[in-house]
Amino acid sequence: MTQALISQVLIGLSVAAILVISAIGLAVIFGVAGVINMAHGQFIMVGAYTAAVIGQFGGNTFWAIPASFIVVALLGLIVERAVIQWIYDRPLETLLATWGVGIILEVLMKLIFGPQLYYVGSPKVLSGGVHLIGRLPYPYYRLFLIGMAILMVAATFIVLYRTNFGLKVRAVRRNRAISGCLGIDTTRVDMLIFMFGSGLAGVAGAVLAPIKSVSTTMGFTYAVNSYMVLVLGGVGNLLGVPTGGGLIGEAETLLAFKYNSVIGELLVFIFIVIAIRVFPRGIFGYYERA
Amino acid sequence: MNASAKQLQILKSKRNLRRTPLISLSTIIIGALVVAVIGSFPYLLGSGSYVLVLTGKFLCFTIFALSIDLIWGFTGILSLGQAVYFGIGAYLVALSLKINYAMDHPTRYGHKFPDFMEWNGLTALPKFMEPLVSTPFAVACALLIPTILAFIFGVITFKRHIYGVYCAVITLAEALILQEFIIEYQTYTGGFNGITDYSNYVGAPFLWFILAVTVACFLIGRALTHSRIGTVLKSIRDNDVRAEFMGYNVANYRIFVFCVAAFMSAAAGAMYAAWVGIVSFLDAGPVFSVEGVIWTAVGGRATLIGAFVGAFLIKALEFMLSGLLADFWQLFMGALFIIVVLWMPDGIVGTLGDWLRKRRRGTMAQIREEEDRRAFDRQRDWAPAGTVKTGEEAV
Amino acid sequence: MGTGIKRRTLLKGAAAGAGLTLTTGPYHFVRNIAKAAEGDTIKVGILHSLSGTIAIIETSLHNAELLAIDEINAKGGVLGKKLEPVVEDTQSMVQVFADKAKKLLLDDKVAAVLGCYTSASRQSVLPIFEQYNGVLIYPTLYEAQECSKNCFYTGAVPNQQLDDFIPWIIKTLGRKKFYMVGSNYIYPKETNREVKALLAKHGGQNVGEEYAPLGHTEFSTIINNISGSGADVVFSDLVGDSVVAFYKQYKQFGITANDIPICTPITTEQETAAMGPENAVGHLTSFNYFQSVDTPENKSFVERYKAKYGKNQVTNAVMEAAYFSTYFLAQALAKVKSTDADALIFEGLPGQEFNAPGGPVKIDEKNHHTWLWPRIGKARPDGQFDIVWKSEQRIRPDPWTKYLYPHKSCDFTDKRVLERLKKPWSQEKNRSGTIDI
Repeated sequence: MTQALISQVLIGLSVAAILVISAIGLAVIFGVAGVINMAHGQFIMVGAYTAAVIGQFGGNTFWAIPASFIVVALLGLIVERAVIQWIYDRPLETLLATWGVGIILEVLMKLIFGPQLYYVGSPKVLSGGVHLIGRLPYPYYRLFLIGMAILMVAATFIVLYRTNFGLKVRAVRRNRAISGCLGIDTTRVDMLIFMFGSGLAGVAGAVLAPIKSVSTTMGFTYAVNSYMVLVLGGVGNLLGVPTGGGLIGEAETLLAFKYNSVIGELLVFIFIVIAIRVFPRGIFGYYERA
Repeated sequence: MNASAKQLQILKSKRNLRRTPLISLSTIIIGALVVAVIGSFPYLLGSGSYVLVLTGKFLCFTIFALSIDLIWGFTGILSLGQAVYFGIGAYLVALSLKINYAMDHPTRYGHKFPDFMEWNGLTALPKFMEPLVSTPFAVACALLIPTILAFIFGVITFKRHIYGVYCAVITLAEALILQEFIIEYQTYTGGFNGITDYSNYVGAPFLWFILAVTVACFLIGRALTHSRIGTVLKSIRDNDVRAEFMGYNVANYRIFVFCVAAFMSAAAGAMYAAWVGIVSFLDAGPVFSVEGVIWTAVGGRATLIGAFVGAFLIKALEFMLSGLLADFWQLFMGALFIIVVLWMPDGIVGTLGDWLRKRRRGTMAQIREEEDRRAFDRQRDWAPAGTVKTGEEAV
Repeated sequence: MGTGIKRRTLLKGAAAGAGLTLTTGPYHFVRNIAKAAEGDTIKVGILHSLSGTIAIIETSLHNAELLAIDEINAKGGVLGKKLEPVVEDTQSMVQVFADKAKKLLLDDKVAAVLGCYTSASRQSVLPIFEQYNGVLIYPTLYEAQECSKNCFYTGAVPNQQLDDFIPWIIKTLGRKKFYMVGSNYIYPKETNREVKALLAKHGGQNVGEEYAPLGHTEFSTIINNISGSGADVVFSDLVGDSVVAFYKQYKQFGITANDIPICTPITTEQETAAMGPENAVGHLTSFNYFQSVDTPENKSFVERYKAKYGKNQVTNAVMEAAYFSTYFLAQALAKVKSTDADALIFEGLPGQEFNAPGGPVKIDEKNHHTWLWPRIGKARPDGQFDIVWKSEQRIRPDPWTKYLYPHKSCDFTDKRVLERLKKPWSQEKNRSGTIDI
């Protein structure tokens, strides 16, 4: 029994990693740029389809990661220039506008690729697993996902807190007017950070596609899960993403083990709603003047 | 009376000087016309027509959008989970109707309770559902339970000062929970299939009833927003910190309007279930909630009539386009949302109103002249006779 | 305060009125233009979801039906007139199905409707077809236990899928311990109930049963449970996105089809193509049609489908049913030489035969379901299925599963049913063909 429990905890880590990977792009866009991106799920979907196309050309996931980053970053650029730049000061409007963007993306992808499921495979090098504990091997791909999660969070941390660019981004977030007065090109900063966040979403799509399924409607679930992670963990602080993801991932896996998947998901949502009462801004969020 | 007391008396009687009537005459005329047109649909279209069914549905959606308009357009609370109240209202009424229907039409096993319960292995109606046999009781529950739920949610959310984006996401989570709950506990709710196959009441009398409820909701909304409470709500929307400092208990006002909105949504849901004859988890989920927000946004956020225009326009477009352009009608819908958000942030009705106001007011010089004239009129009314000479400008 | 606001509210009211007129005005105008050409075509309703989650599979039904209509029209149509498809997108939403069905029957006055995929959608539109005496042809496999006068069921019922599948798994494959995994809604739950009855009958054993939420894609816990239960075969009724995720993760955890094969009545060529050959290989599906069926009719069908919709498309059992359903309809119309619903229901459609890509199929005269050829397929590395078992004969459909409801049957030629159908339609729902035997 304890063996099964420990292997469940390990699996929970991989589930948490999946959540972190999907949420980190949104954390950047929402937490740093202040934009509610309802099209986040569709960005992930575009990243997954990019991986599918790369796969058809013979590439594997390692090629798909940079390709998806670039493709979805460019998509983010288009969305930001066309739609978002006019409504930075009105966060609730971004919700509606990006919902429309999401619908359009879904339809466009459906017209290009058709509504059916698409194939994205995992690289041969990562197939198989290592026998850690319990009967079943722990798949290498899940270890890879945990690694990717750590990598993406680290990369975001470095970009935001250890580069000049990150400094400018944080300045613009705190006070756009003064930053502009100090000579920071706020438009460029907005563009680049939105692109970065979108690119992360694209990478999430590329990396998650081999383990899940790819269709034009896959995005909504990822978006909801990402918002849950952020709401629980808190925005504005990068620690929020791994915390939120970790708590939700482990809770869901362990509850699914004890009861079943359906109850697990339900209980986790209820747990989040209760946790929000205790931490209105998320566990690591901070209060700021509106 | 001496001069100052007289001034005070004039002031008091003029306090409502700038008050517009609750409903202007033209609104009543237009409203009556629209109601008459809709009310005559059963005769114009025949009772089996799908347009009639759609109209009843759209009216329920209008009330739903109106409730969102009240809490979002006037109070600034964005709730992405309003469908929770709509859904609970709808499910309670649908369950009651289904139970009653099943008692007259036994299932394939000969049982007199809903078929989805039978599929899931129940042998009799669950005890806690027996009160639902009485439809009036079910309707009362359908109206009260969501309101009580909204009260609880409101207290927990607004007393903790959760608003803005976080409120939106939490309400989204709540809608998702309800949706999952409905699908999981299909023994009691019909699950993924929803509750289908019960008697529904499409027809002229019920349509008029829905119409009457819609009009009543509009009147309630207008009374609410046009009164002092409405002014406070708008001030909360504009700057809640300032409202708090002015001494208003912002949380209480929010809870109040949230409950009113939930009550309206529940009423809409109850009528919807009885009218359409099918409810499913989609009516209680996050997607429907967001749709309601979109109808309000497109129609006009801080206007009441906007809810009507938005809901009807978008649902009608959806219905037509999904037949005419079956493959890519959603492109238009998505583009419509973006256009509305970017160029018509006040929605169709709001932008129309703004445009009219601008046209009427004219250039800056004309505006200034008009303002001066008004101030002069006010001064003349307030000041005792003889102190202001005609032709003099007010400061 | 007078004139200004009055104009404003006037125009607001006009906006409301405009919104209202838009509901009916131009739309009817356009449709009326279409109706003007009514005389030279026979309208056929196509009621499927082309957007939303169910569109993943339902679009292929729509495509197959349009392909069949094109072919029929190319050969001259029916009764000298062309078939005109009236396509509606039901957005994967049950409520929209009902509205669109009404519109097709009452407004467009179609001769018949080919439509629906999920049982929920069928159940929401059947009352409308019964009330307005329309004809619905439903091409999807389903859990049965139903028969309605106004519906013709051309998909497989459990006795055409499970009745041979389960014994084959137990006897030929030698696997007795079943672990059942399904999506959390009525079709998997009903199906699993039937499987359990079959297991009891043939000496199999049920070692576990689990359900995942619809659209759920995280199966590590379930796979762990499977591995720990001692099962030697998994019976899966997962649908949609869950299927691909499940098979992929199954393989990732190192379980192959030789260890514990996955047997399912619902995984099609589309899902095996999407999950990747290495994840699909060796697992089994039971259908009455596979793309790899080796008949000249099928080869030509697959070619024509790919020519119209793309080289990468795959065919599957449900859209094959949609395809031959269209031909059934055309033949029925030609036989009764009218579009009258009762003529089609009582004379035109029952007994129709057609050389479908999956073999010659026939609509049973008594119960309005279809005689089909059950097959069992084993997935190949290229995503297609090797047919490892095929029924020797065409199997009669039993809408009332014999081992669950032995005292019920469906017979539209029975005089009790005919008496019942003579009565006018009422909320009593007296359009069923069920009789007690």
